[in-house]
Amino acid sequence: MKFAAGYAWNKEATFEANNKIIKEGGNYGGEDFFRMFSFPLLKGRAETALEEPLAIALSKKMAEDFFGSAEKAYGQTIRFQNKKDFKVTAVFDNVPSSSSLKFDYLLNWEEFLNENEWAKDWGNNAPETYLVLREGTDAKAFAKKITAFIENYFKEPNFKVRLDLQPFGDVYLHSTFKDGELSGGRIQYVRLFSVIAIFILLIACINFMNLTTARSVRRAKEIGVRKVVGAFRIALIRQFIGEALFFVFLAAIVSLVLVALVMPLFNELTHKQLTVPFADPRFLLGFAGLILLTGVVSGSYPALYLSSFNSISVLKGTIRFSTGALWFRKGLVVFQFVLSIVLIIGTIVVSRQIDYVQRINLGYDRENLLYVPLEGDLLKNYALFKNKAMALLGIQQVSRITDNPTNISNATGGVQWEGKDPTSMVQFAQAAVGYDFTGTLKIPLVQGRDFSKDFPTDSAGYIINETALKLIGYKDPVGKKLVFWQMPGMIIGVIKDCHFSSLHDPIRPIVLRLGETADYGRVLVRTERGKTREALASLERISKELNPKFPFTYSFSDDDYQKLYTSEKLVGKLSNAFAFLAIFISCLGLLGLAMFTAEQRTREFGIRKVLGASARSLFQLLSKEFIVLVLLALLIASPLAWYFMNSWLLDYAYRVNLSWWMFALAGSAAMMIALLTVSLQAIKAAFVNPVKSLRTE
Amino acid sequence: MIALQHISKWYNIGGKPNFVLKDINLNIQEGEFLSIMGPSGSGKSTLLNIIGMLDLPNEGRYDFFGQSVYDMKEKHRQDLYKKNIGFIFQAYHLIDELNVYENIETPLLYQNVKSSERKAMVGDMLDRFNIVGKKDLFPSQLSGGQQQLVGIARALIAKPRLLLADEPTGNLNSKQGEEIMQLFKQLNEEEGITIIQVTHSEKNAEYGSRKIDLLDGRIQQHIKENISL
Ligand SMILES: Nc1ncnc2c1ncn2[C@@H]1O[C@H](COP(=O)(O)OP(=O)(O)OP(=O)(O)O)[C@@H](O)[C@H]1O
Ligand SMILES: [Mg+2]
Repeated sequence: MKFAAGYAWNKEATFEANNKIIKEGGNYGGEDFFRMFSFPLLKGRAETALEEPLAIALSKKMAEDFFGSAEKAYGQTIRFQNKKDFKVTAVFDNVPSSSSLKFDYLLNWEEFLNENEWAKDWGNNAPETYLVLREGTDAKAFAKKITAFIENYFKEPNFKVRLDLQPFGDVYLHSTFKDGELSGGRIQYVRLFSVIAIFILLIACINFMNLTTARSVRRAKEIGVRKVVGAFRIALIRQFIGEALFFVFLAAIVSLVLVALVMPLFNELTHKQLTVPFADPRFLLGFAGLILLTGVVSGSYPALYLSSFNSISVLKGTIRFSTGALWFRKGLVVFQFVLSIVLIIGTIVVSRQIDYVQRINLGYDRENLLYVPLEGDLLKNYALFKNKAMALLGIQQVSRITDNPTNISNATGGVQWEGKDPTSMVQFAQAAVGYDFTGTLKIPLVQGRDFSKDFPTDSAGYIINETALKLIGYKDPVGKKLVFWQMPGMIIGVIKDCHFSSLHDPIRPIVLRLGETADYGRVLVRTERGKTREALASLERISKELNPKFPFTYSFSDDDYQKLYTSEKLVGKLSNAFAFLAIFISCLGLLGLAMFTAEQRTREFGIRKVLGASARSLFQLLSKEFIVLVLLALLIASPLAWYFMNSWLLDYAYRVNLSWWMFALAGSAAMMIALLTVSLQAIKAAFVNPVKSLRTE
Repeated sequence: MIALQHISKWYNIGGKPNFVLKDINLNIQEGEFLSIMGPSGSGKSTLLNIIGMLDLPNEGRYDFFGQSVYDMKEKHRQDLYKKNIGFIFQAYHLIDELNVYENIETPLLYQNVKSSERKAMVGDMLDRFNIVGKKDLFPSQLSGGQQQLVGIARALIAKPRLLLADEPTGNLNSKQGEEIMQLFKQLNEEEGITIIQVTHSEKNAEYGSRKIDLLDGRIQQHIKENISL
């Protein structure tokens, strides 16, 4: 091993220097950090940047925020969280937004261990360690060697910690593990949308094949003549593939222009900064390869098919498509519509689920609820802050919590009660909360009461939820004994079940204890509807007064909630776009087939007209064919969509049900669009003058 | 039965009207068997199509059983056409995707004839033209003469009072052609069906009761007993 460095998670912290107090986001890094990663240093040396325990490296931006420039910042002292002074030992260039590691400051790893005693525990696996192996080291063999390393130090009967390596380049896309095995991550979305993109391209190729073969009826003469004048089959094939390549090439140019135009929109949607690497030879080569492949794929079927025409029958104008070829072409259209319908159903389900997430009753009221971080002097002044805040106009209730109610992540097995199964491994969510917690969040109490300063014994009181009650099994829980982390106490209240985490997870049993004076957490402020702006202004005023060294920051509970579902909202938007694209291209394909069929059947329609068919009956005759195709597509698409969307929904503990109307809606949407597409051709065919279509040459 | 007055049809070619039919006046009584002759491009098919209501002239008046065809509603004309007119073509124009039985049945579908009745009517036709054994075959599996028989059966199935035939024997050998002509004569004489045929053959024209000659869109002369003018 060459280098190793710990790396924690991003943290907003308040800094003070040069009479400026500013919040910045950053992280902690081991000594080797700048030796391993190529973040360029504007000041300082990689070897010494994080050498000393009180060293801090700043980004160019942060250096400029406080000191005006990188040069001026170097060697200066900066105060961290109004607690400790650090010396600026390096200034690095701003981290580009495309980096998966983002930080404006980096503190020495020692500081992380100082602040987080628990991180020294061998059983803890929260922070990650980055390694650089010596050249020539076999990563697999290395990983095998360290697998059992921790077992030497950490000995627990029911718990094993094993180490493993993952290439840094893989981490961003492959980040989900299940039972120690890689199970996915962002790569799933990359794959999903790649598959959809390939399918859309395939649809387009199919359309090209369809339209070309359809057009070939008109060109049959040309082909016949060419054959008679001695064109070889190879030459014909070359001509058709050449034509396809030409079209694909034109389309590629248009697509590049479109991509360049749409890219800003896409970046805004996905919060990315993607650009098209026009100058990258690998991109150009890949793109050229794609053009070639697409051209050959879409040109090959028409080429082989058309060049196999018998020249005599072509010249006599008696060429007719075999029923096999017709079915093949219909099959392609069905395939396209299957894809479109699956995408439409997917879009419906995703949007229903997003809608459900928005409208579900979480059990607490997330509207008009503010979070204010507890930091600096606010920790010791919390009681005063609460008193002052309660007196303000527009503020209904104030409480606090050690976690984030939107997503309570802490869990423990350390809960004991009378009659507990000693082998039980059940995990309880846990948090320490302030007085008036349930009142502030507007959580209904099923039994008992809220934490209150009128009851001094509440320091040994616990509030549990209904799920926890069911588990514990007490008949009359209020007043009954409960031991939490070896602290005996009694249950004072039972709250209705709330979603204190994302809807992906089922509601967990929870134990809330009193934490009116805990040394971390956030203030919860319930404001009056419509008075948020006034409340915020007054809160800022008292915060400045009670906690002058920290800027006043806050977040809305609802915003935090929305952040839990950023990825599904993105998926929703993207699937909308893809579904639209797929249905659009499928319609082009259907139009092609309709034109082709109408042309093929001109003579038949002429005859039927002479036999007394009305325009309406002819319209029906032609549309019926396509309705059957779309119905068939719906029949195939429904179970497929059911399967895919069901497994997508299984990811949510709380979800909408798939119901028949979603399939019906998607089917009728596809049908409507298909009919609109076909009807112009059908009308044209129905009103054609039979004298014209029956004229023999 | 049919009265054409001052029928003219032209196509604009290069901005100038190019007359296909010029001031045609023609009366045809019910029960006639009329042959239209003339060189290629003289407007025979055009005239037949106008009589068959498949095409419209640019000028003129057309009365069918005393009713002015161009003054009636489209739907009425369609009904009149469906009930009274049967068409036979030189190229047979059978529907390739349908078998003999279905081809013959098709006109009945457009006249809302009940299924059981249709069955009986098609059965009668198959019998009459001796093609019962061929009812499940497709047009491509028949000879030209057989195809034309199916074409005639199809034209007659709805019991039209007027049969229009555009070179019905054009694609047939002389023996087959003679049989078809015999059939026409029989239909005309025994069932009183009015027949108008376009033909190039003087011999076939002789089967008719009257003959007109077209030249450059005009009627040349009236041969045989001049009933109408
Ligand atoms: N759409 C059109 N545009 C221009 N001219 C046309 C059109 N349709 C027909 N004609 C012309 O009308 C004339 C008469 O055509 P028609 O088919 O009636 O001839 P015909 O007497 O039936 O000939 P044949 O014996 O060859 O069948 C021809 O000269 C033809 O060129
Ligand atoms: Mg003709």
